[in-house]
Amino acid sequence: MAERTLHGTGATPRSGVGSVVWYGRDISLLDPDGVEVDPETEIERFADAVDTARTELESEREATAERVGEDEAAVFDAHIQFLEDPTIEDSVETMVGEGLPAPNAVDAAFGEHIEQFEGMDGRMAERADDLRDVRDRLLRLLTDGERVDLGDLPEGSVVLAERLTPSDTAQLDPERVAGFATVTGGRTSHAAIFARSLALPAVVGVGDALESVEGEEEVVIDGDSGEVVVSPDDTERAAAASDSGAAVVDESVETTDGRHVEVAANIGQPAELDPAAERGADGVGLYRTEFLFLDRETPPSEDEQYEAVREALDTFPDGRVVVRTLDIGGDKRISYLDLPEEENPFLGERGIRRSLAPDSDLFATQLRALLRAGADGAGDLAIMFPLVATVEELDAALDTLDAAAVDVEGRDADAVDPEVGVMVETPSAAFMADELAARVDFLSIGTNDLTQYVMAADRENERVDDLHDPTHPGVLRAIHRTVTAAHAEDAWVGMCGEMAGDPALTELLVGLGLDELSMSAVTIPEVKTAVSETEYSAASERGDRARLAATRSEVHTTVDT
Amino acid sequence: MTVERTVTIVPEAGLHARPASAFVQAVNDHEAEVSAGRPDGDLVQAASMIAVTSLGVGQDDDIKLVADGPDAEAVLDELERILTTPEAELDTDDG
Repeated sequence: MAERTLHGTGATPRSGVGSVVWYGRDISLLDPDGVEVDPETEIERFADAVDTARTELESEREATAERVGEDEAAVFDAHIQFLEDPTIEDSVETMVGEGLPAPNAVDAAFGEHIEQFEGMDGRMAERADDLRDVRDRLLRLLTDGERVDLGDLPEGSVVLAERLTPSDTAQLDPERVAGFATVTGGRTSHAAIFARSLALPAVVGVGDALESVEGEEEVVIDGDSGEVVVSPDDTERAAAASDSGAAVVDESVETTDGRHVEVAANIGQPAELDPAAERGADGVGLYRTEFLFLDRETPPSEDEQYEAVREALDTFPDGRVVVRTLDIGGDKRISYLDLPEEENPFLGERGIRRSLAPDSDLFATQLRALLRAGADGAGDLAIMFPLVATVEELDAALDTLDAAAVDVEGRDADAVDPEVGVMVETPSAAFMADELAARVDFLSIGTNDLTQYVMAADRENERVDDLHDPTHPGVLRAIHRTVTAAHAEDAWVGMCGEMAGDPALTELLVGLGLDELSMSAVTIPEVKTAVSETEYSAASERGDRARLAATRSEVHTTVDT
Repeated sequence: MTVERTVTIVPEAGLHARPASAFVQAVNDHEAEVSAGRPDGDLVQAASMIAVTSLGVGQDDDIKLVADGPDAEAVLDELERILTTPEAELDTDDG
């Protein structure tokens, strides 16, 4: 058959290719008319089916808790409660008493409530899926219905289905299944969330067009674009087959020899928080606050800023959220601020330079919002100042922070005593790392700007693209110097530039002594896997060789071998 | 002995998902007949996940609880704890 492309919603930014297996549940109910039913036997069959279903659900719950996580497993608790619901039991018993066979009674008893929930909105409608799942489980047990065993599919199968319930997806073995696509469902459907947490390529909500795909046809599932490509050409097939994403690792990771490395997310918008948590971020290593200030006529209120930071802290109740204070200037324009026209904005008044003088009111308001959010939010707040070049700037920022804490406490509100850090982006900050680190809890290296300033190469200018590369030994030495100086002062060191998100460089960065790596959420699983495969002692020797290299090509030879 | 209590719901999810599971579980773990509903509405069987979920009560809504039986006070204490604990801090005994 000719190649064709179907469109749905991508659930996981991964691609896979494989051979179609249709997963349906062909449960046919008997026509109850004219069937002789012994109510007692039917009630007993129903009770047995409930017992078996409970046992199945409990073991699936356990398997899911172990493989995916406690949060994902919680849905099975709800299923067990729907299974044992006295309302269902009562109406099944009544209907069986009136002469209906058990399967028909189960279908009718659930049907009524499924319809009721479907008519409601949002979270309530999702309960209809749960009820359907429990009903189908009981019907399968009562009718000895056969279904494709999702736990035992041939390697390289792509599962297509009308819908996949949590119990279905829990059985899918990501090692064997190349992906799935469903007729129904959205990005937040159970199936989509499961797919993301297992890094399984998936497209949901394709619609009825999916039904046109036949079993054993070859398809590409592109979870990035949300496409299902039927009969792909060689190029598409090869591209999809080579995209082998790492599974999400929810736990914190350490090297094979036990050195803990925190893997966190860079966040620029609140909408990125949940996806980052879903991809296994331990916390947030860089929360850019500019989104609060852009595209509006007046600055945000203290309360509005409080809410935004609070949301981030509550998304990572067991983690740390490093909030960078306002980093305006450079290329970011804001209408209600009187930003000067500068010849060289990246070498001009930006970051902490503006916060200490022209924007000092904004800065104080932001710090008060942060301190309050840190006191009330679930996660641990850390505050980081951008573009610090001198100890004087840091001292002034710390004084402003102290004053903000006094203000908040004066209002009888709670203020947290947060970790405080400096973002190392200027060569001066790298040279002065010992003095800066002595005054704070941590340093975080912003490699995009640090590379730009160390190499004097504009990050937007393609003609000097080759110089804007953090693997030049000059940049590596700045990083190493920063890490060593900070560790001598008992400060931890993170990295929040693009470099931190490149899994090919993870071993090098761990070897250079970084305690935390923060990146765009998409590569978090790969970096976590890379950390857990790294041996720190060997990486450390390799890191020394890399930073002592004379040229970038020597660095690359060291990293690649 | 019949006891009655009205509680304002704290978990963000309202009486759904995990809070609802914990709620129904607690009812089943106690020796008492419990019904629940909006203060001005009909009461439903609190041991039924379907009935409890279809109340559709959300964060900051009030819910009236009525319990009858030897554990009446105890079950209301436990239900109040569940309904006033933010979801992130909720420990389910059965997990």
